[in-house]
Amino acid sequence: MNKQLKRTVLEQANVWIESNQKVVLARVIHTWGSSPCPTGSSMIINEKGEFFGSVSGGCVESNVIAECLELIKNNNLFKQIKFNVSDENAWDVGLACGGEIKIFIEQINS
Amino acid sequence: MKIQILKEIIQKKSSKEKFAVLTNLINGNSEIFEFGKFLSKDFESSKKEIENYHYLKKNGVIDGTQIFIQNYIKPIEVIIVGAVHICQYLVDLFKNLDFEVKIIDPRKYFITTERFPNIEIINGWPEEILKKLQTNSNNALITLTHDPKIDDPALRHALKNKFFYIGALGSKKTHIKRCERLKEAGFSEKEIDSIHGPIGIKLGGKSAPEIALSIVAQLVSETHKL
Repeated sequence: MNKQLKRTVLEQANVWIESNQKVVLARVIHTWGSSPCPTGSSMIINEKGEFFGSVSGGCVESNVIAECLELIKNNNLFKQIKFNVSDENAWDVGLACGGEIKIFIEQINS
Repeated sequence: MKIQILKEIIQKKSSKEKFAVLTNLINGNSEIFEFGKFLSKDFESSKKEIENYHYLKKNGVIDGTQIFIQNYIKPIEVIIVGAVHICQYLVDLFKNLDFEVKIIDPRKYFITTERFPNIEIINGWPEEILKKLQTNSNNALITLTHDPKIDDPALRHALKNKFFYIGALGSKKTHIKRCERLKEAGFSEKEIDSIHGPIGIKLGGKSAPEIALSIVAQLVSETHKL
């Protein structure tokens, strides 16, 4: 069903790649405590900073997007990022729900 | 992740296969895993643990390793019998949930693409259609016609094929009569009790979209008990 109506994160990544854009995939690989998105949740970011999907229900997305753009800029392939309550950045961007998450970001490449 | 892996995941997902994606967090390499498949040297030393996580459908970094596993499982297939008004709202609610939906109705004037665009509709008697479909405990059945000659054969099929969720629309009285017919057909009390009837969780609403919402809520809640 819904094929035309609902495009998944990976399908959207493919659309961006086919229009020659650089794409970074971000996936939640580990969570502790009460984090809003379960392990395996994913988001993609293109070189223009457009994003699709979610890794935290809004709490740390802006930081993840910045990290992904940095990855493209420095032409790095992958990186692990951790957000937790005691992390000042996480407080800034609002991971106030008492959880911790680890996110793996990686460029989609040929 | 390589583009070819991304394309393979999309293709496998659309053909509803069961598989997992492994990522080595040290070097960033990813590959597709299926039971019995040969693993590259990035992953082969953790084959047993990988198989175990895949069997348990567990996503995460495998204990004691730097391997991340993400499992893809077959989506649940929901068969709706009765292309009625409630069904149109059900289809709308299912759009954002990860279910595959099929609608069966023998009444041609109900089951039209105008009423149900972008969804698989089958015009015919449930008894004949269901025999041709491959169904099992990954299926859910929702009957909406409350007409015994349309709903009952579908309910019997779902009980025999151990659908994980069976729900039947109809008042308490209708449901009591339905249960009596199923008892006569030889089904046990336990089997009959597994049918959610009257269907849906109690929201208190009686409008078609409210009933549809109560059905979807019940089905989702049963899914998480699996």
